[in-house]
Amino acid sequence: MPGYGTPNAPGRDAGMPHAGMPQGGPPQAAAPYPQDARYPADHAFAPGGGMPWAPISPRYVWQRRVTAVVWSVVAAAGGGLLMWFGGGTLSAILWVVALLLVAVLGWVVAQLAYRSYGYAERADDFIVTYGVFVKRLIVVPYGRMQFVDVSAGLLERWMGIATVRLHTAAAATDARVPGLPATEAALLRDRLAQKGEERSMGL
Amino acid sequence: MSGPYGPYGPPQGPPPNGGSPYRGQPPVYGQPPVSGPYGPRPPYGPPPYAYPQSPPIRFSQGTHRLHWATAPLRAMAGMVVYFVLLGFPLLVALGRRGEGFRLTPEVIGIFMAVSGVAAIVMVVAGVWGWLSLRFRIDGDDLVVERGVLRRNVRRIPLSRVQAIDVVRPLITRMLALAEVRVELAGDAHSEIALSYLGRQSAQQLRAELLAHAAGLPGHTPEAPERPFWRVSFGMLFGSLVLKLPVLGTILLFLSSLLFLLVYAEGAMLAVAVPALLGLLRGVVAPLVMYAGYSVATSPDGVRLRYGLLETRMQTLPPGRVQAVRIVEPAIWRGLGWARLDVTVAGYAGDRQALSSVLLPAAPRQVCMMLVAQVFPGAHVDAVALHPASAKGLTLDRADGAGTDETVFVSRHGWLCRNTDVIAHARAQSVRLTVNPLQRFLRLGTVHVDAPPGVVRVAAADRELGEARAILESTAHRAQAARARGGDKARWAR
Repeated sequence: MPGYGTPNAPGRDAGMPHAGMPQGGPPQAAAPYPQDARYPADHAFAPGGGMPWAPISPRYVWQRRVTAVVWSVVAAAGGGLLMWFGGGTLSAILWVVALLLVAVLGWVVAQLAYRSYGYAERADDFIVTYGVFVKRLIVVPYGRMQFVDVSAGLLERWMGIATVRLHTAAAATDARVPGLPATEAALLRDRLAQKGEERSMGL
Repeated sequence: MSGPYGPYGPPQGPPPNGGSPYRGQPPVYGQPPVSGPYGPRPPYGPPPYAYPQSPPIRFSQGTHRLHWATAPLRAMAGMVVYFVLLGFPLLVALGRRGEGFRLTPEVIGIFMAVSGVAAIVMVVAGVWGWLSLRFRIDGDDLVVERGVLRRNVRRIPLSRVQAIDVVRPLITRMLALAEVRVELAGDAHSEIALSYLGRQSAQQLRAELLAHAAGLPGHTPEAPERPFWRVSFGMLFGSLVLKLPVLGTILLFLSSLLFLLVYAEGAMLAVAVPALLGLLRGVVAPLVMYAGYSVATSPDGVRLRYGLLETRMQTLPPGRVQAVRIVEPAIWRGLGWARLDVTVAGYAGDRQALSSVLLPAAPRQVCMMLVAQVFPGAHVDAVALHPASAKGLTLDRADGAGTDETVFVSRHGWLCRNTDVIAHARAQSVRLTVNPLQRFLRLGTVHVDAPPGVVRVAAADRELGEARAILESTAHRAQAARARGGDKARWAR
C-alpha cells in the first residue's frame, strides 16, 4: 500500500502519555510516524499507539435500560389500551408482546452499546469509537472543533452523567461521548476547548 | 492599478483628465495636485468630504441605505400580491351579486376605495422597509441595522465571508438594480441580502467587501480578472440532452405522443405530461439558469456569471471551496466532457442547490484546470487511485481512492462516474464506518467530512486494515496541510 504513507508530520501518538485519563498531559512531539506501518484488520478499531480506550461510566447502561423500559411501558400501555377499547384483544396482546421484545432488545443492546464506546485524546486529535450495528471510528482534529457542548437530560442528571458533543463545520462528524460522570465531562470539555483554541484554524 | 498617485488611484476628487479643473494641463507625475476649485487640498489622508456628484460611493465611510427605488418596487410587488389574493376575488364577488357579471359604477367605486387603502398601506410599508435598513462598514465588520423604532444591529466579521453574490432578477435588470448577498458559514439564516442597490453601487459594495475580507484597505480597486472559460450555448444544451435519463425520457415522451396520435388513446397523456414536465425541469430550467455561463479567475477568487432571465454573479474567495465533485455521465465520457459540483460552506438550505455548480459542462481538462485553481497545487489526474476491494457489495460501485499531499480523491459510480476531491486542508474530520454487511465481509468505509453540501467524500469498501491506514494517514495529512497553509481567512495578508 505505497500510496498511503504519511508525510513527516510530528505528533504521532507513539510517545504520548495517557491523555485520556483525567489528569491529562501536555502534548509531546513524538517520533515521526513510521512510513511502512500497517494496521492489522483485527485492530482496525483499536486506539493505536499502545493507548487504551478511555471507557464511559457503567451508569450509561442503566440510563439506556431505564429509558428503553419507560418508553416501551408507556407505548405498550397507551397503544394496548387503545386497541383493547377498539375491540381487538388479540391485537392488544400482540402489541404488548412486541413492545416487550423491544424492551428486551433494548436491555441487551444497552450493554453492547456501553462496551462499544471509547474515546482517547491524542496529540493532535480526539478519537471516538461507538456503534453496535454500524461501527464508527471518528477522528476530530482539535483545530477543527467549532465548539464542544455538554448536555444532560433529566434522567442523566439524576444519575450524575452527561453527554459531551464535539461540533465541527461538518454536520456529518457526529462525535459524541455519552455517559461520562458529570465532573469528568466538564473537565473533558474544558481540555478540548483549550486545545481547540490553541490550534483553531477557522473553517 | 498603479497610476501616478500610487497603487490606489487618486486619493480624492474627480479624475485628472475628466474633471474640469485639470482640463488642458497634464497632471504633475508623482505629486498630488496642489489646488483645485475648492482651494488648497490637504496633502494626504482621507478626503474632507465626498463630492455630491462623484459617482463611486465609498461604502467604507458613512452609513448607507438601499436604493430609493426599492420602496416603490416593494410597493408594486405588494400590490400585485394584493390584487391576486384579495382584489380580483373581491371584484368578481361584487360583480356577481346580481344576476350575471356586471361592473356597475358602485362596484368599481367600492373596489377602488379598497384598492386605494391597500395602495397606501403598501407604499407606507415599502417606505418603512426602505427606511428601516441601514448598513455600514465599520473596521473589519459589516454592520446591518434594521428597524426604525426598535433597532436590531447585526455585526458580521468580513473575514468569515464565504461568498458574495450579485443577483439581478428580471425586473430589477430593467431598472438597473441589483441585490447583493453575503454568504456566511452557518445555518440557513446566516446570509445577508441587501436588496436592492443600484447596479454600479452593488459592484462597488462587492469590491469593497471583498477588499475588506481580504484584509486590504476598503478603497482598493476591484481586483483584475482573467477570463477562464465560457460555456457555449450549444455545449450547454448538448450536455443537458446527452444524458441517459434525459434521452430515455425524450424517447418515452415521443413514443407516448405517437401512441396518442395513432391510436387516439387519451390515457397516454398520463405518460406524456409527466415526461414533458420532467424534461422542462431537467433540460429547460438548467438551460435558462446556466445560459451564458462564464468563469473568470482573479486574486480575490473565482467569479461566475450566468443566467438568462435572472443573472447572477458569484464570487468565491480563495479557500472557500470545501470539496469538489467531477461528474461524468456515461455519454459525456465518450465526448470527454465533465461537470463540476462544489460545496461552499456559506450556501445552506435552498441556496445550496442553486449554487452547487462550478462549471455546468466543459471539456474534462478545463474542469481539471479549474479544480487546480480552487485547490492550489492539486493534480487530480496524477493521484494514483487504489482500487477498492472486489468483495464490496454496494449499489454505488466504489471504484478507487487515493491521496497525495494536497487532496484526497475517491471515485465511484456505475454509469455516471463521480470523482470526489477534497483538499486535506479543508477536511473537518475523518470517520471509519463499518455497517453489518461490511462487517461480514471485513470491509470498511472511510469518510472525509466536509461542511454539508452536495459533495460527500468517502472511500467505500476498503479492507479493514487498509481503511484504518487511510484514516490515520488522512488525519495526519490534514494536520500537515493546515499547518502549512495557515489561516486563509484573509487571503491577501
